[in-house]
Amino acid sequence: MKKVAEVAGRKLTLSNLEKDLYPSFGFTKAQILEYYRRISPFLLPHLHDRALTLKRYPEGVEKEFFFEKRCPAYRPAWVTTAEVAHGGESLTACLVNDLHTLIWVENLASLELHVPLARAASPETPDALVFDLDPGEQADILACARVALILRDLLSQLRLKGYVKTSGLKGLHVYVPLNRPETTFGDTKKFSKAVAEVLQRNYPDLVTAKMAKEERKKRVFINWSQNDAAKTMVCVYSLRAREKPFVSFPLAWEELEDFAEQDDPERLHVLPADALDRVEKRGDLFRDVLAKKQQLPYL
Amino acid sequence: MKNKRSLRLPAKSSATPGRETALQGIWTGTISFSLVAIPVQLVKAIEPGRVSFHLLHRRDYSPLSRRMVCPKEEREVPPEEMIRGYEIAPDKYILVTDEELESLAPERSRTIEIVEFIALEEVDPIYYDHPYYLVPLPGGEKAYQLLVEVMRRANKAGLAKFVLGEREYLVAVKSTQGALSLITLHYPEEILPEEDIAPPADTGEAGEKSRLMKVIKGMTSPFHPAKYADARREKILKLLEGKLKKRAAVEAPEVTEEEGTGPVDLVAVLEASMRKMKKDR
Amino acid sequence: MAGRAIWKGYIHFGNVEVPVKLHTAVKEERIQFHLLHRRDHVRLKQQMVCAYEKVPVPVEEQTKGFEVEEGKYILVDPEELEQTEPEDSRMIEVQEFVETTQIDPFFLERVYYLEPDLPGKGYNELAGALGEMDVAGLCTWTMRKRSYLGALQRSGKVLRLNTLRYADEVIAVQSLGLEEIPLSEKELEIGSALIRQLTATFEPQKFTNEHQKKLQNLIEKKARGEKITLLRPRRLPPTESDKLLQALEASLKKVA
Repeated sequence: MKKVAEVAGRKLTLSNLEKDLYPSFGFTKAQILEYYRRISPFLLPHLHDRALTLKRYPEGVEKEFFFEKRCPAYRPAWVTTAEVAHGGESLTACLVNDLHTLIWVENLASLELHVPLARAASPETPDALVFDLDPGEQADILACARVALILRDLLSQLRLKGYVKTSGLKGLHVYVPLNRPETTFGDTKKFSKAVAEVLQRNYPDLVTAKMAKEERKKRVFINWSQNDAAKTMVCVYSLRAREKPFVSFPLAWEELEDFAEQDDPERLHVLPADALDRVEKRGDLFRDVLAKKQQLPYL
Repeated sequence: MKNKRSLRLPAKSSATPGRETALQGIWTGTISFSLVAIPVQLVKAIEPGRVSFHLLHRRDYSPLSRRMVCPKEEREVPPEEMIRGYEIAPDKYILVTDEELESLAPERSRTIEIVEFIALEEVDPIYYDHPYYLVPLPGGEKAYQLLVEVMRRANKAGLAKFVLGEREYLVAVKSTQGALSLITLHYPEEILPEEDIAPPADTGEAGEKSRLMKVIKGMTSPFHPAKYADARREKILKLLEGKLKKRAAVEAPEVTEEEGTGPVDLVAVLEASMRKMKKDR
Repeated sequence: MAGRAIWKGYIHFGNVEVPVKLHTAVKEERIQFHLLHRRDHVRLKQQMVCAYEKVPVPVEEQTKGFEVEEGKYILVDPEELEQTEPEDSRMIEVQEFVETTQIDPFFLERVYYLEPDLPGKGYNELAGALGEMDVAGLCTWTMRKRSYLGALQRSGKVLRLNTLRYADEVIAVQSLGLEEIPLSEKELEIGSALIRQLTATFEPQKFTNEHQKKLQNLIEKKARGEKITLLRPRRLPPTESDKLLQALEASLKKVA
């Protein structure tokens, strides 16, 4: 069923609003759109001018999905785009710079929003360095929390501030804002790799810097290779397409400390209602990732 | 203790780095003897007590630092745009890259290989140049302790050569109170001969000599270096304390850029931070 | 030849006064490189640059400051600093004597040779006495506006003066935070045997600065336009703790 809605002064045709895209949990397209509409003031700044990779689940999370880096050809005229390089070629990517574009993208069932660390205008300049903490099969988010806290301490020794969010799945992401035009992916990759390797050496049972599956089983893998112009990260406040619509949600470091002591994984899984409640009370904990200027030392 | 300083001297390097700072730019690598390899980091053993001053811009008290400037373009040149050259004729240079330098001794650029052990009593102290400590990197603690202990038991030190940057150092590695210390040595060819300044071979008046020996005996005591303080340092610190009491210190404008003291090994810094964190926990 | 004479003074203790000249004792041979601008090989010069404005600052606009806290400085005038300078004196005052073996190499800084300034003024007797007793004179003196602590001792045919570091300049081993790790008797035994096998007498002439020669060769090769083959540095993989005994045994086999 289609419905025409006016979103921020633009007419949009919304379809399949009653479709339950999270069948075992119960979360319809209408609810998804409502979530994204309400979280948009906090989400949009993090999507601004970044080439979007859509992750579309038109039939819901239990069915097939597909990535889309090219902005669909049938897009409305008002969708902002940018030409980006991809594998030696150039393609046109969507830039979600306003609410109506966000709603339009969500109408396409792009449950997850993935963006690069650099903005489209300067694709070789990462605004932040990321430590993607990914627990192996037999490790869990608690192990990630431990690694994230050690990482925070190490970063503070270097006078760097980091910000942590849940991946929405089993892991955590620690972002180190840089926001300087001189930063290169070469720098961030070198730095994050060095840190990952040093942590592996010092905590060999907890951390691995290697991608090989055997190394990762019981450990937290620090995926430093995400610091690349060709890679994307799930955007903060994006939903995840698993059984439940958990949100990639920022945490205060004290929250993570509490969690690490109490060990209740549920506390780190944030559902949309909870997410909205928390941002409305505390604002965007990830705001400084866009603003804070820092420089990686010793490169 | 005589040398207590009431004004704390910061650990930052001064505006005029001394000759020691070449190796103090923290180095990590391996120390080996035969087939045993120990990952280590080289750290300072000496913290100069000299009061060091920064040069400041008179106008705004902003600190000044030595930078390399291109006289033609009249601007500062970043490290990526620099290359090292050897002047073979006026204004004619042979360029040498870092890779080419490392190539000269590929085994030695990251490894201190102990080739033999010697009794330190056999080493004339004139060979000693500068001391450092070696600390083990994670994973190397056991092998490190072993080397410390066996050298202590045998009362021997290891002799090795290693390359850093443009230089190759001859070093003695010894066991010092449960740790490994490394002292760089001068090459024999660098020690100047003393023959030409020696007085004519004449042992002097025997009577005079034995009288001297009596005096010397009377003045002999055990070696307690802590008895001696750097008088000038004390005077300068007093002067500074006095000034601080009269007037507050001036403040330099905020600089967002981190001042580099030269290329520093990132991994070494991270490992040092980890050690500190583990100690504090 | 010994280095040039850089200073003159008198060794003094009791009623002994020996006039001497100081010579440098060590000369480092180094191939000097200059830093060039990559694109046009213009030789770079060093300048004092203001961290804030990022411009070079001439001497007239410079002043000295002591950093008390990050970014906070106490300004000093050259005249004020001058007043802290020690009185000029030519006396090398011997305070006491100590056994040379007690002086830890960590304390040794720079070394000078002493040449008698006037013959027959007790130099030989002093050198002889110090040599026979194997003691060093701990002395204090001021040279070029700095105060020094030093050790005076016999050195071959002459006297040698070493400047010494002050006790609080030596970083204590305890501050390194090293852990004690238990070692097995077997590991210690084999380790000790290995040291015995690798022990030699100290023959300094065996060691030359080969690196300098190789560097010289490299430069000559390049000057002739020859191609340079690059060899990659080889790093030894660290010996794991549980493989230590194995590595020791294998080493012993190798050197025996």
